[in-house]
Amino acid sequence: MATLEQTKVRRAGRWFDVRRRKLGMWAFALNRIVCIGLVVYLYLHLVVLSTLSRGPGAWDAFISLVRQPYFLVLDVILLAGILIHGLNGLRVTLTGFDVCVKKQKALFSVLMLVAVVALSSAALKIFGG
Amino acid sequence: MENPLTQETMQNPFAQEPKASSTWYWQVLTGVALLLLLGLHFIANHFIATGGLRNFADVLSYLRNPIILVLEVFFLVVVATHAMLGVRAIVMDFGISDRAEKRLSQALTAIGVLTISYGLWLTWVIIR
Repeated sequence: MATLEQTKVRRAGRWFDVRRRKLGMWAFALNRIVCIGLVVYLYLHLVVLSTLSRGPGAWDAFISLVRQPYFLVLDVILLAGILIHGLNGLRVTLTGFDVCVKKQKALFSVLMLVAVVALSSAALKIFGG
Repeated sequence: MENPLTQETMQNPFAQEPKASSTWYWQVLTGVALLLLLGLHFIANHFIATGGLRNFADVLSYLRNPIILVLEVFFLVVVATHAMLGVRAIVMDFGISDRAEKRLSQALTAIGVLTISYGLWLTWVIIR
């Protein structure tokens, strides 16, 4: 028999499963998944920046490595996360202040469209040099 | 699916929807600040910089600009705060006890302070 704590954890973990859920739940889950990804990236970024403390030789060698196209793909993925989380967060903020509550699904769709357009132009800039 | 809070309020006219906590307002405040600071950080370091990234000499001259330094330090504080509040919100959804919530807040505050301290130390090592 499941204990109360196990039930709580199982219930709390349900946000992760968006199957047969509506758009609002997808937006909520997306915001959280991207949040976790960005927190992991923040610490990865800080670890990478420690290369700067080893001087110009170490940093410049690292920079020439990450200018390769496959590393630039990671830049695009990062930017996608920032745009999705930032614009979705803007929707959460607006609805939290009772703005566009009834139109929040449309707002989410519009903001994600903005994210796609911004990401596409940024990707062109990143790969175009 | 109807919001259970609304359902409860309908059944009990004396029930009130919970007020937003101060941490939610901090999350919003840091989030809005991040839209500007992160945008600036990303544009300055990935779009303006030659080849999409700064070499060591460029990083040095960039960080030695006092206005940039203040903005980057502010960015560090804001991003660490926003990240810790985000992690707290996710863990809080597991329905933890008041005691566990207090411990969680203490642990995340400590991690946030360590993160900011590390960032400040690294900045100092680079620009000195």
